[in-house]
Amino acid sequence: MQEERRINDGSVAPHRIAAALRARGDQLIVLVVLIAIWQALSAALGTYWVGSPWGVATRFAAGIADGTLPGQAFYTVIEAVAGFTLGALPAIALPFWLRRAPIVSAILDPFMVGGYGAPKLALAPLFILWFGIGIESKIALVAFTVFFIVYFSAQAGVRALDARLVQMAQVMGASERHVARHIVFPGAVPHVFAGLRIAMPYSIGGAVIAELISANRGLGYLIQLGATNFDTTGIFVALAATTCIVLAGNWSVTALERRLLRWRPASDLALQAGS
Amino acid sequence: MGEPLLEIKELAKRFAARAGGEASPWVIRDLSFSVADGEFLTIIGPSGAGKTTLLNMIAQIDAATGGEVRFGSETAPIGDPKALRPGLACRIGYVTQDDHLLPWRTTLQNVLFPLSVQGRLTAETRARAEMLIRTVGLNGFEDHYPHELSGGMRKRAALIRTLVYDPPVILMDEPFGALDAQTRTQLQADLLRLWNLGRKTIIFVTHDIGEAIALGDRTLVLSRPPSRIAGEHAITIPRPRDVRDIMSHPDFAPLYQRIRAQVQ
Repeated sequence: MQEERRINDGSVAPHRIAAALRARGDQLIVLVVLIAIWQALSAALGTYWVGSPWGVATRFAAGIADGTLPGQAFYTVIEAVAGFTLGALPAIALPFWLRRAPIVSAILDPFMVGGYGAPKLALAPLFILWFGIGIESKIALVAFTVFFIVYFSAQAGVRALDARLVQMAQVMGASERHVARHIVFPGAVPHVFAGLRIAMPYSIGGAVIAELISANRGLGYLIQLGATNFDTTGIFVALAATTCIVLAGNWSVTALERRLLRWRPASDLALQAGS
Repeated sequence: MGEPLLEIKELAKRFAARAGGEASPWVIRDLSFSVADGEFLTIIGPSGAGKTTLLNMIAQIDAATGGEVRFGSETAPIGDPKALRPGLACRIGYVTQDDHLLPWRTTLQNVLFPLSVQGRLTAETRARAEMLIRTVGLNGFEDHYPHELSGGMRKRAALIRTLVYDPPVILMDEPFGALDAQTRTQLQADLLRLWNLGRKTIIFVTHDIGEAIALGDRTLVLSRPPSRIAGEHAITIPRPRDVRDIMSHPDFAPLYQRIRAQVQ
């Protein structure tokens, strides 16, 4: 049987590595083309309007070297991570409690849909009014945004539960607590991650937008500052930093997902990672 | 064969009518039989004869509409799904048509699952689990997830997941239905060998007459719905039996023909 496993790895792995390398190569080509277009635009319209890749890159490097960029980015990341955690944890837990209380769940449903649909940007001034212009209002906005996205994913996961698996577990002596822990929860994890992956960029974006409206720190503040000073390059530097953070966040969520969802067929994971 | 371990009397089942619709027809009506301790009973019937429904009612994951299901001195609640006790305190095991392995657990974790929820995970039961895994040839695949196993391996895992906690009665619902002939014969042989180790009471539902004869001490034939017992046949072929060669036994052909005449 050892033999068989080795043969399996031997035939599948190189093929998948080759495919991954190929995709990386193609991604690099797309990146180069995008930068070339940007460069062409800046040559045609002038750096005043669109900056230039080289200008942004040098300012970006300088910002990192003197520590200002990481400092501002750190502030934004703290807001995003804190808001993400505060929003996601109750959003994951709530559907599990509500599974046992279908009536409460039905009562809450329209309010949840309303909260999901509410334009979060419009709420930013309210949060600033309530929580001040410090870090708290940003965290609140991010948490509020993340909560509804993750809540509906987790709820879908809980509802997609296979009733036969539960019955079989009960026949084998599983209590309600066992069912929740060993069947409902692991079954919902893929859905939860789908929600987390969608919510992650929103958490960074929410933090930046909240800072744009009112802050004296963070990447949103840098964008605002750049806009005030007609400093296009400064805006692009802040945007580039935001993008890097989103990519890193996405990578972290995907890595965690791969670890927790080893039990899924590889094709499922590949499809999800590609999306 | 002494006092019956399990007794079904005038069992009846119809599913709840759809809102505003007519009452749904009876699936099972006036069905009576009993099973002795240590007996291997096979039940055969046409598709749609309510075979799975019957097992669900015995396992208490579905409530009967009328009649009686008695296990030892306990009777199952009638018409009240909330009062059901699935598996009746782990004394009735159930191997379903689909394997229903938990996809997020490895083979070993799946096999240990009943022991762990029953709080019986000891060095001794763990050793038993490992013994069963070896007996059905799943050693080397303990750390594989269900999607990495073949159909036959998944069936084996599902089978020993029930055997591992040693319920006195095991219900089997066409467990080998979806497999190729060769894997199926192999699994039938495995099952007989395992049954010889511990002589449990088994109720094995199938639509394959050959399988019903090869495995059972006795075969019941179900009629078309509303199902009742259409025939009963003692399988006289002596044990131990070789399932690969069962058809060459002189008793096989006459039994097969008598049963086939009743299965419609």
